[in-house]
Amino acid sequence: MPPFRTGLLKRKIDSKESKKVPEKNTSEDESGDSEEYDLIGGELNVEGDDTDSEHEDEKETGSDQEQDEVLFDDSADSALSGDEQVEYASDESSELTDSENDEDSDDGSAGEIDDEKEASDSVDSGAESANGKSKSQTKTNVQVQEVTAKTKQKQKVKLKNQKQKKTPYDDKQTHDSINRLASTIEKTSVTQPVEQKDEYESGDTSDEEERRNTVGDVPMWWYNEYQHVGYDLDGRRIMKPPQRDHIDDFLKKCEDPDFWRTVRDPTTGQDVVLSKEDLQLIQRLREGRVPNPEHDEYQPWIEWFSREVMATPLRAFPEHKRSFLPSRSEQLQISRIVHALKMGWTKTRKQLAEERRKRREKNFYNLWGSATSEEERAQRGIHKHIPAPKRPLPSHAESYNPPPEYLLDDKEMKEWNKLSETPWKRKYTFLPQRFGSLRAVPAYERFTRERFLRCLDLYLAPRAIKMRLTIKPEDLVPKLPSPRDLQPFPTSEALCFRGHTALVRSVDFDPSGQYIVSGSDDGTVKVWETSSGRCLRTVSLQEPVSRVSWLPTGALTLVAVAVGSRVLLLNPGARVGAHRAAQRTDELLQEPPPQGDVRMDERTAACVKWDEVSTEEWALGIRIAITHFKPVVHLCWHARGDYLCATVRDGGARAVVVHQVSRRRSQLPFARSKGLVQCALFHPTRPLLAVATQRAVRLYDLVRQQLVRKLLTGAQWISSMAMHPAGDNLLVGSYDRKCIWFDLELSSKPYQTLRLHGGAVRSVAFHRRYPLFASAGDDPYIVVSHGMVYNDLLQNPLLVPLKQLRGPAVRDELCALELRFHPEQPWLLAAGADATLRLYS
Amino acid sequence: MAGEQSEAQLQIRFVTKQEKYAVPDSPYAIQSSVQSAELNNLVNAILKETAPTIEKAVVFDFLVCGELLCTTLAEHLQQKGVSTEETLDIEYLERFPAPTPQDCLMHDDWVAAVHTHNNWILSGSYDNSIHIWSTKGQHKLAIPGHTSPVKAVSWVSFNGDQAVFASGSHDQSAMLWVWNVPRNSVDCVVTCRGHEKGVECLSVSADANRFATGSWDNNICLWSTSLSDEDNVPAKKRSKPDHGNTREPLTTLKGHREAVSGVQWMDFNTVVSSGWDHLLKLWDCELGGIKQEIAGNKAFFDVDWSPVNNSLITASADRHIRLYDPRSTESIVKTTFTSHTGWVQSVRWSKTRDTLFLSGGYDNQVKLWETRSPKTPLYELSGHEDKVLCCDWSNPSLLISGSSDNTLRIFKSKHAVENA
Repeated sequence: MPPFRTGLLKRKIDSKESKKVPEKNTSEDESGDSEEYDLIGGELNVEGDDTDSEHEDEKETGSDQEQDEVLFDDSADSALSGDEQVEYASDESSELTDSENDEDSDDGSAGEIDDEKEASDSVDSGAESANGKSKSQTKTNVQVQEVTAKTKQKQKVKLKNQKQKKTPYDDKQTHDSINRLASTIEKTSVTQPVEQKDEYESGDTSDEEERRNTVGDVPMWWYNEYQHVGYDLDGRRIMKPPQRDHIDDFLKKCEDPDFWRTVRDPTTGQDVVLSKEDLQLIQRLREGRVPNPEHDEYQPWIEWFSREVMATPLRAFPEHKRSFLPSRSEQLQISRIVHALKMGWTKTRKQLAEERRKRREKNFYNLWGSATSEEERAQRGIHKHIPAPKRPLPSHAESYNPPPEYLLDDKEMKEWNKLSETPWKRKYTFLPQRFGSLRAVPAYERFTRERFLRCLDLYLAPRAIKMRLTIKPEDLVPKLPSPRDLQPFPTSEALCFRGHTALVRSVDFDPSGQYIVSGSDDGTVKVWETSSGRCLRTVSLQEPVSRVSWLPTGALTLVAVAVGSRVLLLNPGARVGAHRAAQRTDELLQEPPPQGDVRMDERTAACVKWDEVSTEEWALGIRIAITHFKPVVHLCWHARGDYLCATVRDGGARAVVVHQVSRRRSQLPFARSKGLVQCALFHPTRPLLAVATQRAVRLYDLVRQQLVRKLLTGAQWISSMAMHPAGDNLLVGSYDRKCIWFDLELSSKPYQTLRLHGGAVRSVAFHRRYPLFASAGDDPYIVVSHGMVYNDLLQNPLLVPLKQLRGPAVRDELCALELRFHPEQPWLLAAGADATLRLYS
Repeated sequence: MAGEQSEAQLQIRFVTKQEKYAVPDSPYAIQSSVQSAELNNLVNAILKETAPTIEKAVVFDFLVCGELLCTTLAEHLQQKGVSTEETLDIEYLERFPAPTPQDCLMHDDWVAAVHTHNNWILSGSYDNSIHIWSTKGQHKLAIPGHTSPVKAVSWVSFNGDQAVFASGSHDQSAMLWVWNVPRNSVDCVVTCRGHEKGVECLSVSADANRFATGSWDNNICLWSTSLSDEDNVPAKKRSKPDHGNTREPLTTLKGHREAVSGVQWMDFNTVVSSGWDHLLKLWDCELGGIKQEIAGNKAFFDVDWSPVNNSLITASADRHIRLYDPRSTESIVKTTFTSHTGWVQSVRWSKTRDTLFLSGGYDNQVKLWETRSPKTPLYELSGHEDKVLCCDWSNPSLLISGSSDNTLRIFKSKHAVENA
């Protein structure tokens, strides 16, 4: 084995030992340990300085000398040691094989230590003497030269190497340490000019420890085909160092004592010799220890942050706000848990334990218990349990020791025995008996049988719950406001107007409400003062008056009176107070309009005739007389007062006649009969005419001459009609006891049908200002109702019956024939069949 | 319960404002079931001891808690909600003596208006005539002139032999008449035309210079009462030969929406009027504007104002008489007097006593009221057989009422002692 080989082996062993030794030493030998540390420390120093040496060059001053000396020393040492190894190897055995390395290792380690000590001693003297500068230079040069020389020699020496392996050149090697040193010095002097430039340049350009590759984290094999391995910080190519083949490696291995700790930096391609510290680091990492050797894992623990309050706290900053606030997320969690507990989804340990305990207990079925609670019944399959009817409690007679009065005496006994054939007629079902004590009471022989019968009763006569719906009568009545809140309305009779001698057919107020006109069957028309009930004027017309109607305009005083088939326009004002209006009326009516103006077609002329008034009649107050072909039953003034609509009984198509007073002419608006016309009314605001036949009300547009609407009342026979002053609602009274309210905007069907009367309804009336309407008929009561019509079209009228007023006395099954409201006051006037007028306020 | 009440005792003390009837201020324990008659006996007995100068027994009325005692004391206190534990002050005053029927003056038709002045009674009737009577019941004159029922009459002034009176009628006019007393002749001096409809009421101011009429045409007209009319009537109007001169109103007060039913002077410048439109209005005559409005909820038929106690009393289209205080800004009724069973048509204050007034209603009754007893009138002056249309108490000793039974009834009241 060649000496370089053995040297290498030795190194290897060294490295192994250096790894092993500390472990051994810690356990075995402390003295050896200290030595080892020294050794390693020396080596590390050498290594560290070795790396530095390249850059810390001529500028170094005396302070660096020590390092340089050491450096030099090291290099010398390495050279010496190499020599010595060779010597040593040659001394011991040149034929050592790899297999013998283990045996050598022990000796070698000890020997080496000695060698190195010697070497250091020996070189110390030399190092002190030598000039640090030159030597460091030479040393570096030596290294570089070695490399360069080797590359040069590569090809040349290949063959030689073979020879060298075979032929040991001991002599040459022994001298080699000194010779090589000398040769290298020579070589450096020769080669330096070429090589040094680069060296300096690189050294000058950067302060860095090494040239840095800037290619980044890329696989280096990308540069396999190139001459360079990347770029330095200045963008210059970092050239690959000359490739070494195995022989070079081998040679280097042989020559370089640091080869074992030389690695190639793949980025720069430079060889890097690992320092002692690096090695130690690697070693510690491998052992899985803390890389820093100074770190003490077992240093005593000092508890800095304790609960004790320090006089000068380590941390002076205030507590965070968070530490004072309850945690929101915790709160959510807790609330979730609480909720779950409440709902029974989760159970506390206590509950769970309770449940377990219950489960463990023995559960007996309560055979004899009565199912009292609903749950128990459901358990037993009893649904909707109906308890059995209770038997009556035993009476005194059933006592074992009844009071003596309950015991049957002889007479009763006789009776008892007599009824033995018919025992159900007996007073008791048993015979009351007296026993001295309860003990003496014998067994009841019928007990079993009675029990059995009782069971049969319960079993065979099933009981059932009868669901009875209880509806109070009040619930069926619609919710209406209290009449007290709907005041004012007429509540009592205030005045009674007496004077007529027969039933009063018709009444009307004058537009201001000061006077009342009434027409009666006794053939008179009377004018009354409203406030006092004074009859101011009586006009005798001989024939029964069927209808009176005061002109609704205040400027003139004119009353239309229907007497038989005539309609008389009467001026009542002449002696009742309104002198000026009466005078005006007279002036207006005195002169008939020129005949040319009055034109009536033949059909009209055939049924209506405007008569001149005789002087006697004029003196009575009659101003105009219109004769119809049949009796007139109804009159209605238009709101403007010029037109008067008269309804003729059984008139057929000519039943409705419209008179125009100012021009003294008449019109027949209808060509065909639609039925038996009962009455006709003008609409208060629009040119509409409402005509009531027996069962329907038709609304005609007078301007366009067409039917607007047909209202189906549902009544058998209409008696009267009244139009709401706003004109959107119509009230119809019928002989079959109904009052029918129509909302003309709503529909042609009745809005509401009021059955308030016990007899035929003969008259209905609206108040002009207050939301009141009234109806009266053959029953002795007049019904006043609240009829609120809202301006809002969406709100339906509110109808509330308010008051039943005792009407006029009933005569010949007639009571009140016509109703009128005072135009301003909430007063109601009724024309009575008992020849009186009654004013209610 | 009756036993309990009879047993209950309470302490009372008698108080009076009439000094001559004063009694010692010592409390007495009496049964709570006593009525005013027994209290009366007690007071008289005390008076007999303390003031022997009063020879005759005096009848007293007793005011308990500001209201006249009509029932037993216990019931009265229960109504008032007063404790019977404490000593009760009972004020007593001499009772207004009962009016005695004095006369019944027959007319041909309903009597619609009446007014007295000292010894003369003026009445207006539905037969369009005015009548003058003496208080002794002697018919002096029947004056035709109006063409419609006379609804209002009033004396204006007495000037020696010459008496002036005014009348209003439904013939839309008011007339001013001069009555020569010794000659017993009457003359229509002025006809006041201005109303569009019948005159309903009439009132002469205190200084007798003006009078106001209310009418169915919703207006109130103020007229001068001067008999010579050069100053205020246009010349062309004077030529009307009808009934002497025609006069036009000094002022027309427009504001009522319906008929004016009653008008009264409050002072020389203020007129109060009542209307069918549920309003009482106080008018400023100088400005012709409304000073104040009081709203009721029924049509008013009559109003009267008392200068003695500055209160308004109204009759309206129901059974109640209402007392208003025109000085209060809110139109709240101070008291409601309810005893009539029909409409009350007429109310009149006493001219001398601040707590008494007269009312006539359609229930044929005339009632004399004391303002401190709203439930029960002092006296009911019955006798009429039909609706009472008017009443008058201008002469403090005569209570006169006209009715639709064609009579005018006079009740004489002995002059009671004036209030202290």
